[in-house]
Amino acid sequence: MELSDANLQTLTEYLKKTLDPDPAIRRPAEKFLESVEGSQNYPLLLLTLLEKSQENVIKVCASVTFKNYIKRNWRIVEDEPNKICESDRIAIKANIVPLMLSSPEQIQKQLSDAISIIGREDFPQKWPDLLTEMVNRFQSGDFHVINGVLRTAHSLFKRYRHEFKSNELWTEIKLVLDAFALPLTNLFKATIELCSTHANDASALKVLFSSLILIAKLFYSLNFQDLPEFFEDNMETWMTNFHSLLTLDNKLLQTDDEEEAGLLELLKSQICDNAALYAQKYDEEFQPYLPRFVTAIWNLLVTTGQEVKYDLLVSNAIQFLASVCERPHYKHLFEDQNTLTSICEKVIVPNMEFRAADEEAFEDNSEEYIRRDLEGSDIDTRRRAACDLVRGLCKFFEGPVTGIFSGYVNSMLQEYAKNPSVNWKHKDAAIYLVTSLASKAQTQKHGITQANELVNLTEFFVNHIQPDLKSATVNEFPVLKADGIKYIMIFRNQVPKEQLLVSIPLLINHLQAESIVVHTYAAHALERLFTMRGTNNATFITAAEMAPFVEVLLTNLFKALTLPGSSENEYIMKAIMRSFSLLQESIIPYIPSVITQLTQKLLAVSKNPSKPHFNHYMFESICLSIRITCKANPEAVGSFEEALFLVFTEILQNDVQEFIPYVFQVMSLLLEMHKNEIPSSYMALFPHLLQPVLWERTGNIPPLVRLLQAFLERGASTIASAAADKIPGLLGVFQKLIASKANDHQGFYLLNSIIEHMPPESVDQYRKQIFILLFQRLQNSKTTKFIKSFLVFINLYCVRYGALALQEIFDSIQPKMFGMVLEKIIIPEIQKVSGQVEKKICAVGITKILTECPPMMDTEYTKLWIPLLQALIGLFELPEDDTIPDEEHFIDIEDTPGYQTAFSQLAFAGKKEHDPVGQMVNNPRIHLAQSLHKLSTACPGRVRSMLSTSLNAEALQYLQGYLQAASVTLL
Amino acid sequence: QHMMKFKNKGKDATALRRQRVELSIQLRKVKKDEQILKRRNISVHSEEENPSVGQNRPNEIIQLSLEEIVEALNGNNTKLQLLAVQTARRILSRHKDPPINQIIELGIIPRMVEFLGHADNAPLQFEAAWALTNVASGTSEHTRAVVEGGAIPAFISLLSSPHMHIREQSVWALGNIAGDGPLYRDALIACDVIPPLLALVSPATPVGFLRNVTWTLSNLCRSKNPCPPLDAVQKILPVLICLLQHEDKDIVSDSCWAFSYLTDGCNDRIQVVVDTGILPRLVELMHSPELTVMTPALRAVGNVVTGTEQQTQAAIDAGVLAVLPRLLRHTKPVIQKEAAWALSNIAAGPCQQIQQIITCGLLPFVVEVLDKGDLKAQKEAVWVVANFTTGGTVDQVVELIRAGVLKPLLNLLSAKDNKTILIILETISNLFLAAEKLGQTEKLCLLLEKLDGLEKIEVLQNHENNMIYRTALSILEKYFFGEENTDLDPQTDQDGLYGFSVEKQDFNF
Repeated sequence: MELSDANLQTLTEYLKKTLDPDPAIRRPAEKFLESVEGSQNYPLLLLTLLEKSQENVIKVCASVTFKNYIKRNWRIVEDEPNKICESDRIAIKANIVPLMLSSPEQIQKQLSDAISIIGREDFPQKWPDLLTEMVNRFQSGDFHVINGVLRTAHSLFKRYRHEFKSNELWTEIKLVLDAFALPLTNLFKATIELCSTHANDASALKVLFSSLILIAKLFYSLNFQDLPEFFEDNMETWMTNFHSLLTLDNKLLQTDDEEEAGLLELLKSQICDNAALYAQKYDEEFQPYLPRFVTAIWNLLVTTGQEVKYDLLVSNAIQFLASVCERPHYKHLFEDQNTLTSICEKVIVPNMEFRAADEEAFEDNSEEYIRRDLEGSDIDTRRRAACDLVRGLCKFFEGPVTGIFSGYVNSMLQEYAKNPSVNWKHKDAAIYLVTSLASKAQTQKHGITQANELVNLTEFFVNHIQPDLKSATVNEFPVLKADGIKYIMIFRNQVPKEQLLVSIPLLINHLQAESIVVHTYAAHALERLFTMRGTNNATFITAAEMAPFVEVLLTNLFKALTLPGSSENEYIMKAIMRSFSLLQESIIPYIPSVITQLTQKLLAVSKNPSKPHFNHYMFESICLSIRITCKANPEAVGSFEEALFLVFTEILQNDVQEFIPYVFQVMSLLLEMHKNEIPSSYMALFPHLLQPVLWERTGNIPPLVRLLQAFLERGASTIASAAADKIPGLLGVFQKLIASKANDHQGFYLLNSIIEHMPPESVDQYRKQIFILLFQRLQNSKTTKFIKSFLVFINLYCVRYGALALQEIFDSIQPKMFGMVLEKIIIPEIQKVSGQVEKKICAVGITKILTECPPMMDTEYTKLWIPLLQALIGLFELPEDDTIPDEEHFIDIEDTPGYQTAFSQLAFAGKKEHDPVGQMVNNPRIHLAQSLHKLSTACPGRVRSMLSTSLNAEALQYLQGYLQAASVTLL
Repeated sequence: QHMMKFKNKGKDATALRRQRVELSIQLRKVKKDEQILKRRNISVHSEEENPSVGQNRPNEIIQLSLEEIVEALNGNNTKLQLLAVQTARRILSRHKDPPINQIIELGIIPRMVEFLGHADNAPLQFEAAWALTNVASGTSEHTRAVVEGGAIPAFISLLSSPHMHIREQSVWALGNIAGDGPLYRDALIACDVIPPLLALVSPATPVGFLRNVTWTLSNLCRSKNPCPPLDAVQKILPVLICLLQHEDKDIVSDSCWAFSYLTDGCNDRIQVVVDTGILPRLVELMHSPELTVMTPALRAVGNVVTGTEQQTQAAIDAGVLAVLPRLLRHTKPVIQKEAAWALSNIAAGPCQQIQQIITCGLLPFVVEVLDKGDLKAQKEAVWVVANFTTGGTVDQVVELIRAGVLKPLLNLLSAKDNKTILIILETISNLFLAAEKLGQTEKLCLLLEKLDGLEKIEVLQNHENNMIYRTALSILEKYFFGEENTDLDPQTDQDGLYGFSVEKQDFNF
């Protein structure tokens, strides 16, 4: 493409079309531009347009297109063609800086971005004059230009803040420092002087302060990796000026906007960051300046208002104090009682106040409010910063700080008492203060785990929290209600049980509150209380203690779901789930109504599933209803199927992806409740479950495997007779799963069920292929997980089909295969098997190989007999682990381990652990002893001589123990 | 991503040991706690005691212009020559900003070197030696001017001068030349500087002189890439060992520095030092109340423990673990830092050595540094923990957690140092590996949450540094949010369902 007017014209046309709202016009134009962007001069044409086009819209469009072009093409990737020709690269680098600087702001920003993308690749080696070119502009006196340079420099240097140190990086920084540090310092000084000469010129000040902000940011970047010699030498200049800027105020720079931070705030906020950087990293060198900064920042805090626009500044400033006051050698700066009092009074208390913005969020954006308040996503808020400062101060001054605050808490409570409807915010602050003072460590699961012993939590609870909750009007002072409920929730481990029991009906009552925050907190608090553990690991609150409240609890919970704004409230649904789990059979009378409400909800949300947690707990609740009811009355399974299958069919037909894994799990649970042969309604579904499209979604795999396992357990013979043509498809699923390192264990689950339950003749023709497939995986990509599953499987096979069958099928695949697997896999790897049942299966399988497989006694495999026995004894004598107690009630959804999509596995649809050798063998050690005894009777003397010549002494000792326990002796 | 957690496990012990490979690029000022490389002789008063200038009345200073200096030097009048050299020396000895460049540009360096050979004129030799010493004390450029003027052989022969003050000045000049770097250091060694220099060490040598000799010897041991020739080191070592027993603290300090240089290199060199049996003495000196002695002693021993397992064991046997607690609590952050660095390298050893760290009661001190130390020291303490959790047994890791390491360690996740953040994250992965073995993953999760670690890790998901972000994410996904899934998808369909078929291959496991 030549740099001709004609081409400029063409390009203009196409650029214009890319702005067209009609995709029929826009898309081809975009395609065209893409097709020509490889041509020489294309970027130069764009640069010409963005500079000279008559139409502003084209200028802007060209600048954006140019930046995107640079983003896509500038980097030279090894082994790929260079996408921009060298002469264009040179021309771009030669022109872009002046062009950027002379452009209006909108375009300047695009070009500045482009420069930093180019800089990332070429600077410094391939763009040596960039720095000088930039620095020279500092002298121009034109702050539009200077700010352009500073902005570009900032985008080039900010990566110094997050990259790891390396010779390459530091070489670059050194180069930048050599060229840039002094001019930047001079510019900083000159700009500050200009600020005082133009102290009365608002528009000049704005430009100058924008420069100062950028300069302060550059300071941060250049000082991040290490303290550069230059800045150490010039610390006085920088810090003195930073310090005076912190204390500076100018009416002309104050903004009316309450939300958006002004230039002054942004600058001071960056200076706080800079001071914090020095205080943390270069403490030794910064020490002389630190006290001044502490004072300045603290004064700043005392004089800064409550408006939202100051939030960032205030939280940065408080965080600075919080980080300094924890350091032992600055302790003295805070030690004085007056200082402490003043920090508490003027910095902490005001920033804990409930502000208009909080009130707004409480009412209108409750979801966000809850997230911030309950889940701790409040990192940048003032309250949080103040809280951190309290904790920081408590490190050295817990006593005095607690003392000071107790005074405040009392006076605030008195204020409230004088006129609650006007002064309720005082009480809110008092509660917040007590909470932040008392809590030293906290988890979602247990609430506060370590509390300040100087605060009497129970007394405060009885005197100031309970009265609010006992008030007859649940809708009065909703913020205080929420505070009170939150108090119960987080101090649930500190407040005595009798007080908690008194609180339960109060919480149930507050489920009816109109305020979303209040009824959500009530539900959450109940859920947390129900999850507490008492002695001997049972629930702390018992079902018996809850008996008087069952009906009202369930009624209010489901009613809360009908309150405006809470129709898919996950906290309420979780509380429903937890209540079911706690109350167990006492919910049975209410099940008909409950299940109707749940299925209606399910139907409603399946139209557009949007709240994954809510949905999850809803399915958990359904599972609990089924389990609890069917435990008492197995026949009831039919009525659940009746209630649920319609909705389930709809979900499967509409392919509601989020719900399908749940549906499979509920169906598995229902199917397992059937005691007899598999109902035909299920069998009709069977072929559909083998559809590849279902298996392509990873989230479906565990529940589908589970469901197929249920089919195999209940209906193996039906499948063998009525759906024999589907067996290859079933094994195809196994093959698909086994090929994936992530899913191979699922494949084994399926295979184990097939081997265990399918009639042998129905899978006879496939058996060899199954093993070949497994051997292939073993050979090509073996992992520990695979080996563990493989070992369990072959031993299960051995248990089911006999050791001889195992040996024969191995050796039919390849001569001596059996010996190779024994020697290379079973013997060295068997100790990796974990899990009680898994180990037991392996023990019984290996015992069979040792004692029921003639080739082990009289072929060349005999040499493996002792090593195998030794490995088995090793397996026995390893310490047992990985036992997971059956305490589903306490399982939190967030910490269910294992499966792919964290939300897909339902804890209450859980499968009971199944022990395929359970009936056959009780104690595998004894079983080994008895089997050996049997073997020795068959060939007297052989076993004993093998043992005495080759088994190591320790193993022999163990073995003798087993023989004794089984009261047998070897012949 | 799961490779992350095995990363450290795959590293062999030597990779965990971190030598003093500081980046070759430094942004910082050269630190005051380093031994000085080159020194200028500016003590104007001492000349009054010098017999060689005794006949000159000190106050009657005759000023020559630079042109006059050149003229006088190149002339034949020995008096004027002396005066000119003396003037040049005075200019070079003035307190501030000596005009070394100007003097070099006069082109008089070779002439002054020539004067070094004037054995008949000791005052001239001395003044020239002094002036050249000060020229050589400048930049590399300056030192080069002196060397290229032919000063090396000239100064070496002056080591045998009958006049002690000339010998001493020459030692000083040679120290400056050696301090320039490996090139001139080796040039000096090649010119056989060592035997005459060592000959100067005797019980009769005055302390002041001996200090100079020791300093010059230390410079001959200094600099890497390459390190000094082995045979030279072997010659110097016996003398250094004697000097290390001296009662003068400056002599001991410079000898320690020499040992710190000799140990700052590959394991073979460390072995040379270990073989001399000097470690107990170096460890003893780590107890010294003198900062100038303790600093280089700590350096030297710190370097030794970067070596092999056996070398580290030698340092442990010499008692290094007993002295570290005090140093970890030292008021100077640099000392804390060096001590923690040394400990981090011991923690990189096998679990028996880690056990000795525990037995010697060092864990509380590590926790203290992590909690209250200066960031420099905290960073090293993080390495202690990281290495400990990599090489330690499960029981040892439990011991570490019992010592209270978690809280301060997690606090440092907010440090403004990216590498440290990453190391902490990797350490957390190590802890989880241990917890998994104990079946206490959930307990560790809760503990991390309680100590605000979970929140800090969550925040790191927004970190600009890709590696940090990914490591944080993988910990969260693995232990806090449930497992993430890597999918290797194979297989084709057939008749709507998956086909089940395989081709047999030969197996060999």
